[in-house]
Amino acid sequence: MLAYIPWRRFALLSIGASVTMCLIIVALFAPLIAPFSPYEINVPERLQPPSAIHWLGTDELGRDTFSRTVFAARISIQVAAVAVGIGLIGGILVGLSSAYFGGAWDMIFMRNMDMLYAFPAMLLAIVIMAGLGTSMVNAMIAIGIIFIPGYARLSRATAQIVLRQQYIEAAFSIGMSTPRILFREILPNIATPMMVAGAIGFAYAVLVESALSFLGLGAQPPEPTWGEMINSGRGQMAAAPWLGIVPGAAIFISVLGFNLLGDGLRDFFDPHLRD
Amino acid sequence: MIRFISMRLLAFVPTLLAISAVLFVAINVIPGGAAQASLGIKATPEAIARFNREHGLDRPLPEQYVAWLGKVLNGDFGKSLQSGTPVGPELLKRLSLTLELAVLAFIVANLIAVPLGCLAAYYHQRPADNAFIVLSTVMGALPNFWLATLLILLFTVTLKWLPPGGYVPIMEAPLQNLSLMIMPAISLGVVSSALLLRIMRTSMLEVTASDYIRTARAKGAGRGVVIWRHALRNALIPYLTVGGVEFSLLFGGVVIVENIFLLPGVGQLALIGITQRDYPLLLASVLLIAVVVLTANLIVDVIGAWLDPRRVRTVGIS
Repeated sequence: MLAYIPWRRFALLSIGASVTMCLIIVALFAPLIAPFSPYEINVPERLQPPSAIHWLGTDELGRDTFSRTVFAARISIQVAAVAVGIGLIGGILVGLSSAYFGGAWDMIFMRNMDMLYAFPAMLLAIVIMAGLGTSMVNAMIAIGIIFIPGYARLSRATAQIVLRQQYIEAAFSIGMSTPRILFREILPNIATPMMVAGAIGFAYAVLVESALSFLGLGAQPPEPTWGEMINSGRGQMAAAPWLGIVPGAAIFISVLGFNLLGDGLRDFFDPHLRD
Repeated sequence: MIRFISMRLLAFVPTLLAISAVLFVAINVIPGGAAQASLGIKATPEAIARFNREHGLDRPLPEQYVAWLGKVLNGDFGKSLQSGTPVGPELLKRLSLTLELAVLAFIVANLIAVPLGCLAAYYHQRPADNAFIVLSTVMGALPNFWLATLLILLFTVTLKWLPPGGYVPIMEAPLQNLSLMIMPAISLGVVSSALLLRIMRTSMLEVTASDYIRTARAKGAGRGVVIWRHALRNALIPYLTVGGVEFSLLFGGVVIVENIFLLPGVGQLALIGITQRDYPLLLASVLLIAVVVLTANLIVDVIGAWLDPRRVRTVGIS
């Protein structure tokens, strides 16, 4: 079946998957890839421009920018993965139950979701962080919560289509239990759109995590994060412009990669394009 | 139309109430945070208890919410836990700046999205179309705070054309105000324009495939005339809906951009509220942004209904 897929039409998927794979490899093997410790302070070497020893220069404390950028990928990927996981689990539970039970349950849940959806997600994440306190784990929770309304709406809409299928009627008629119908019959059939939304969500999670750490609300120093690196680099813009450019470029490439992967997956699973 | 507006207005109040409740609970989810932040980490349990009692923070959360809401409805947003000054007047003073920033950013986004979206549709499936789609993808992946950093690096540090930050009211010195607001507006607007460009292109392609456009072409109208004079108005209807949502989303970015460019707006006040755990300040700032966002959505809905009366009928039926 794969042989009939016109791969050239899925260039987006190929580029997105390649960038994402590179990023995951960098995150997984950060200790092997980074030539220096991301925490190692070396004041005599401060604000060195890019060179053969420090490929992307050093920061105001003499720490190697390349090593810090590589280790920061770890934090971004971790936060994004857990946040998207929280968003998907929460969103699917709310969306599936709303579609299945309908009535007042559906109305109450989805009106609340619509309300949260109308509110700027970034601002909501900041507010949640204010309540929970600043840490990497709380950033994961805050970003995860802001994903729930969007995923709930999507899973509810796709589950409503699945619920109209004949095999669901058959499942009801043979007396299948509610959890079994929800998780064995409906869930696998809404997995594809949720997976695509998850990939696109990953890009947004990386953006929000970087924004939170830029504001000092994410993982706390000395943990390297791209957002915090840009923020501290702003003070050295005239002397060491790479400090602002490098981590920003890393965020940009990651977000682009995940967005392309999401768009590519959507095209891949779209039957119109496959035909 | 009047029924449509009334229904939207009726939905406005419960939505705002629900948002205020969510914000209140989110901010107060951990008890004692404000006292700890205000008194420092060495504060004794007795001092924390006294602080909580003085500020009503020792009462149950629902009771605190009702008391706070009652005051807000009377125009009293409380006092800052740090400075002790009333929050309301400070907020109103800063609102005009935040609104100006959001409006300027929205203008930048539309100045990019509308012409480029129309051009992409005009050159459909040609290299220019692909180039605009790539551009939109690139703009969508740019973090606004990185773009702001790059703009400062280029226009302030390297070229020395623009000041790095600060604020002068538009009524005092319009040109200086614009020179201070242009980089923040571009930082927010460019990122917003990514989605709008795609919507404009798709919307324009749908409209140009309709019968009345074919008729205009058959009568001899040029492609450019058809796009700009006949198709644009109808293509703007779906664009407007997404535009309203994008305008709301801009307010998520103002907290960051105001902080970068040292703009004393509502976003900066919200950030002060977070870093100093000054909850009345934070709550009032975010609630004010929520009111602005909901009002913007309401206005967009009404304009959309005015442009496309079918929407009013659909709501009536449902």
